[in-house]
Amino acid sequence: MASIIHKGNSKMTDLKQMLLSGFDDININIPEDNRMVVSTKKESVLSILIYLKKFGYNHFALVSCNDWIDDNEFELIYIVSAYQKNDEQYQDIEKSSIIVKTRISREKAKFITIIDIFENAEPYEREIHEMFGINFEGHPRLTPLMLERNYKIPPFRKDFDTNKYVENTFGKIPSIKERKEGNK
Amino acid sequence: MRELELYFGPQHLGMVGNFSITLKVEGDRIIKASANPGYLHRGFEKLMEQRTWIQNFPLVCRINVVEPDHMELIYSMGVEKLAGIEVPKKGKYIRSIYCEMARVASHLFGAWAYANMLGFDTVANWAMYHRDLLLDMFEELTGARVYHIYIRPGGVRRDFPDGFTDRLVKTLHKIGGKVPDYNALFFENRLFKERAEGIGVVTREEAIRMGAVGHTIKAIGMEYDIRKIEPYAAYDQVDFNIPTRTGGDAYSRLLAIRDDMIESVHMIFKLIDKMPTNGEVCTKTPNPFKWKVPAGEAYVRCESSRGELGLYMVSNGGDKPYRVHFNTPSYNHGLTVLEKALEGESIADVGNIMISLYVVPPEIDR
Repeated sequence: MASIIHKGNSKMTDLKQMLLSGFDDININIPEDNRMVVSTKKESVLSILIYLKKFGYNHFALVSCNDWIDDNEFELIYIVSAYQKNDEQYQDIEKSSIIVKTRISREKAKFITIIDIFENAEPYEREIHEMFGINFEGHPRLTPLMLERNYKIPPFRKDFDTNKYVENTFGKIPSIKERKEGNK
Repeated sequence: MRELELYFGPQHLGMVGNFSITLKVEGDRIIKASANPGYLHRGFEKLMEQRTWIQNFPLVCRINVVEPDHMELIYSMGVEKLAGIEVPKKGKYIRSIYCEMARVASHLFGAWAYANMLGFDTVANWAMYHRDLLLDMFEELTGARVYHIYIRPGGVRRDFPDGFTDRLVKTLHKIGGKVPDYNALFFENRLFKERAEGIGVVTREEAIRMGAVGHTIKAIGMEYDIRKIEPYAAYDQVDFNIPTRTGGDAYSRLLAIRDDMIESVHMIFKLIDKMPTNGEVCTKTPNPFKWKVPAGEAYVRCESSRGELGLYMVSNGGDKPYRVHFNTPSYNHGLTVLEKALEGESIADVGNIMISLYVVPPEIDR
């Protein structure tokens, strides 16, 4: 068991070396076995994802977004892992997940879509557009996915106050008693 | 022929759950399908940012109505990873047994949905009855039938009661004894086979491109299962197979689900044999009202009954999560794979394909 973990680590270190030599301005951290966090500037995200896909990370897990309101920035998180190459045995690469992170400004909340690289990113980007108000350039349908109302502040941003919104939207609906009195 | 737009929503008998698909049809053939989720969107991920780490459990288990147990597991795994908590050995075994029970119950529910939608009412009633027997076991163990909240960070809430494993084995034997009847009436029934064979085919290349997981990919012959790839709980302690099929159509997917259910039952027997008889079931955690989880981020994954379930969790060192994002298998299957799989199929098969992809709408909406 221990030997397998050691082997996995060495592969991660190889990938780390290759990424560090291939890209500038990236910061790579291996917090634990089988996880690698790559922080980069926004221009390199697409090329890193293409590189990882060619390396064998062909299973796209998710796009997530995090609102770091104190830094006035959004963080976009891309997580990729790998399908097995042969059906007989498992390899080290399938155990690992790579987390690619980048930060974009909160005022100009826009980024480029990655649908051309990973097709299943489409609904995730659509949801982030709706919940965080980030515009993904090149996305074919940035139409509402889940919500039915229009929001001044996209609801998953940290400055969106859930209680205040509920109070303003639903709190002003008169009770049945008030409505009856109003009709008289 | 003229193109029409057809709304296929919760009002339709073939639709299980609160979900709708807008179909562009020409005659009986579907040209284009676009899925509309959102009927059940409760904003759980936002609400979780306003509740403490432990208070989130009642929300977490409601993400997937059919099998809340894997949701509890993944959330606990995320918190454990951030806080650096180890689960005791017995706790790990109990978690595995509990999750396999949940898998069997969930697959029986799936069989109910499928059989009910196709009009095999006898099978549907059997499946619901057998699920209920398992729910009785859950009730004995946790006090609740559907939303158990049994797994918590550090382990599980309490040990198995006296004689619980014997009663569980007896219940599972009772369910297992019905498998030949299920086969004769449903899985190997010609009426069902002709209805499900060859529809909703997802090829290997498409599945990899669209990020399919779970039975969708097991029905193509790939043994992609997180229990084997990245073992959690006690799955590295027992030997088990991952049943696969090769067709890639709705029928192969359902047979993969059936085989998975049988394999789960065998696994529960093996786990019960190997489970340590004494020991702690839960590591002590700090006072939940004052618990501050160290800042950091974690990505954890497990194999729910629907496929790979992931959780991306961020803590800023406070008493509440800063961000939680559940990556549920139905999200991918319901929004990407379903839209592709429906193209070129007939209207009568929409429900058939959707249930065979094992889509549960509450998981999509979160």
